[in-house]
Amino acid sequence: MDTPKTVDLEQQDSSSHVSGQEEAPEPTSDGKGEVIIETRSLTKVYRDFWGRSKVRAVKALDMQVRRGEIFGLLGPNGSGKSTTIKLLLGLLFPTSGKALVFDKEATDVSKNERIGYLPEESYLYKFLNAEETLDFYGRLFNISAAERRSRTKQLIDLIGMDWAKRRQLKEYSKGMTRRIGLAQALINDPELILLDEPTTGLDPIGTREMKELIIKLRDQGKTILMCSHLLADVQDVCDRIAILHQGELKELGRVDDLLTVQDVTQIQARGLNAEAEEEIRKVIERHQGEVVSMENPTSTLEDLFHEVVGETGSSSPDSTDKEDD
Amino acid sequence: MIVDPSEFITFGDWFPAAAWSYAKIVLVLFSLGLAICYAFAVVRHGPTEAIYIISRAVTGFFSRDGVRISLRRVFALAQLAVKESLRRRVLVVFGVFVLVMLFAGWMLDVENDHPARLYLGFVLTMSNYLVLALAMFLSAFSLPNDIKDRTIYTIVTKPVRPLEMFWGRVLGFVTVGTLLLMVMGLVSGVFVYRGLHHSHQVEATSAQLDPATNLNQHSGETSRDSHHRHDFFVDEDTTAQGKTLGTTNPIVREHRHPVTLQEDGSMEIGGPQGSLQARVPIYGTLIFRNREGQEEDVGLNVGKEWTYRSYIEGNTLGAAVWTFSNISPDNFPDGLMLEMDIRVFRTSKGQIEEQIPGEIILRNPSPTTNADPARRQCMPIPFRATEFAVSEVFVELDELKFQDNSGQLKKLDLFDDLVDENGQLEVWIRCRQRAQFFGMAQADVYLKATPNSFWINFGKCYLGLWMQMVLVVLFGVFFSTFLTGIVALKATLATIVLGMFSGFLADIQTGEITGGGPLESLYRITTQQEADDQGADDVYMRVMIWASDLLPNYPEFNTVRKVAYGYDINRHILMRHAMITFGYFLVLSVMGYFVLRTREFAA
Repeated sequence: MDTPKTVDLEQQDSSSHVSGQEEAPEPTSDGKGEVIIETRSLTKVYRDFWGRSKVRAVKALDMQVRRGEIFGLLGPNGSGKSTTIKLLLGLLFPTSGKALVFDKEATDVSKNERIGYLPEESYLYKFLNAEETLDFYGRLFNISAAERRSRTKQLIDLIGMDWAKRRQLKEYSKGMTRRIGLAQALINDPELILLDEPTTGLDPIGTREMKELIIKLRDQGKTILMCSHLLADVQDVCDRIAILHQGELKELGRVDDLLTVQDVTQIQARGLNAEAEEEIRKVIERHQGEVVSMENPTSTLEDLFHEVVGETGSSSPDSTDKEDD
Repeated sequence: MIVDPSEFITFGDWFPAAAWSYAKIVLVLFSLGLAICYAFAVVRHGPTEAIYIISRAVTGFFSRDGVRISLRRVFALAQLAVKESLRRRVLVVFGVFVLVMLFAGWMLDVENDHPARLYLGFVLTMSNYLVLALAMFLSAFSLPNDIKDRTIYTIVTKPVRPLEMFWGRVLGFVTVGTLLLMVMGLVSGVFVYRGLHHSHQVEATSAQLDPATNLNQHSGETSRDSHHRHDFFVDEDTTAQGKTLGTTNPIVREHRHPVTLQEDGSMEIGGPQGSLQARVPIYGTLIFRNREGQEEDVGLNVGKEWTYRSYIEGNTLGAAVWTFSNISPDNFPDGLMLEMDIRVFRTSKGQIEEQIPGEIILRNPSPTTNADPARRQCMPIPFRATEFAVSEVFVELDELKFQDNSGQLKKLDLFDDLVDENGQLEVWIRCRQRAQFFGMAQADVYLKATPNSFWINFGKCYLGLWMQMVLVVLFGVFFSTFLTGIVALKATLATIVLGMFSGFLADIQTGEITGGGPLESLYRITTQQEADDQGADDVYMRVMIWASDLLPNYPEFNTVRKVAYGYDINRHILMRHAMITFGYFLVLSVMGYFVLRTREFAA
């Protein structure tokens, strides 16, 4: 990619960090770990009642997800992201090709012992409360009663819902339901977590917390496959991404490899006066470089939001989470 | 009471043939299912891949999904189904039940001569219909709603086997239905007891001295309570447990009251007896003798369309002959209680209030070669046929007599003389009035063993209703695995209707009942003429009969009539019903498994 150089005077590593946070650790995945998910010419064609092809949702998808990485599936609406995840979960059956999870067919129920799934919408039973929901899903994993109680408490604390754990889910806001959805995806301490649009419906604080949690889970050695059409969220957390469009894989690779502008150097500095800036400009020109821009950088709206709302705004009982989004 | 011939078959006799039929049907269905699935798979994947897919699906059931069932998961899903049912206001059904019960007392006919039948029939039938309706609605809509709401995603993406999904829902809805039935049973029992329990006072009494015993014989009338009164009779010669006991007589509204003569000379009328009972009939086999005394399988047809009963002509050699087994002193230490539900066909009105006389003869079916022929049968025991009511004849052991060669009457021993070495006894019934006929079926005459507890029998009836409910839940959940809610409901309702009318369909097909299918009916309605081609609906009728044969015969499970008429539900019937229910459970579970296994929930 051939674009002009810019000068920012504050060093920033754009490859793997969450806005406003300290520098995140380097991703553990170097593309050589155990293959957790593999698709081989995976194709899904939706047919009508008479068997006629209607929509080719996924076309000959070849991809691998390795242990310990956060893998992002990107694409516009209708690109096949959710269909791919559903094929991996066994909610849909491939028209052709293979979908393997932990080296087992995606339709093998036993593989579900090791995975957690957060659906696009939190499809939970509204007549249960948070504790009952987690207890119910824990029983589906054959977890003993004592361990279920322990994990339920831990997860409710993790998602910050202790104050509402006895209320039925039908009284929850969308953000609250999303958190419970995430908790049920983690009830079995899975090795692989599939997240379908995980930040949908969350406010900026909730979004940041979700992204922090995803990175934390990766650091614990878990593998995460997430799909989203919110590019900034994917860029902040994913190690590798695949871009789908109209069911086809268009791009696949590490985020930093794909996004790094090779021929531009960015420097950020503080406390320079006009003479210093002019001198720097001359140094660059002397070395046959081109000054693309030299200006004060702008912060992001997200940073401003966090600065205004504050760190404790997302977990208090008086937060906007109690009201409908 | 009408008794289906299948009730005479013991479980041990029924099971082998039934199991063989079941195995054949399952094999045919399995092969048909495999063939259909293979055909679909061939179209989509080609013949070789299709074999692989089918074999993997079948072996997967036996090696993986079918054996790694977790009861914890099943119970978790069952508990979810119970909670869902409560959320869907299942208790409204119970509210309706209580409401109807509260006002039922105003609606039921208080002048009915058979109040026990009325009350029992009412409460048991209402419980039955309400629970079946509840089971249908709960089971048909649950899974389709989950699929529509996509809450099924969070279940299917857990290590939940399709069989666990199926069983969890079945268990949950059966639990809800069971709890409801138990409560309904309790309420019904209280309703029946309170409705039938009543007391009388002595309103008029008189005494007459018996010169033979020098003791008084009291008679009198009770007060009119619960819309009836009784006449009673107390003989001071009759005592039991230190008390002088009598009884009201005759039976009024299916019951009597014991009457006790107090020391001060007053009478005390006890509570009603006999209205709530569970007779244990011992049935025999039946053959007929025509007017010339020759043996025939059926008796005379007096022109009635319904041929459940055959008739014997009065004052001829015509007789109905029952053969009873296991007649021993252990089983009948005090004598034989014979109960008879005989119909009378009059060719002349005669004295319409008078009952028609008949006679009973006990006979040895196969005496030993050196036995005295004169001791082969007893003197006739007279009785009078009580139409539309069960009449009782108690044969006391020391009252049996025979007439020897010299014409003298001598005593007979029931077990030594009249019961053969196989423990069998013949009971001959004849009509003694010329030009009148007795009508009888196999179940109309029986020996009465020690009755069982009515309340246990009441509970057994609810067990039968429970098995009906289980069947409805099984079909409802099965249909819901591949149909939408409302269509699954209709399909479940269709299985009930077809099951109830399977006998009717068979009678139409065999020509027992005149009629046809929809095409013939349409022709008749439009042309007002009989159809020339009776076979227009042949294919349709065959399919309907085949389908109804595969479905459970729901009326068979309904033992309300037995309880209402005061007959015990024997264990053979219950065991047969339980085995049938289990058979459907197995088949529907496997079918439900394969449907869920091959279903794309996100499609």
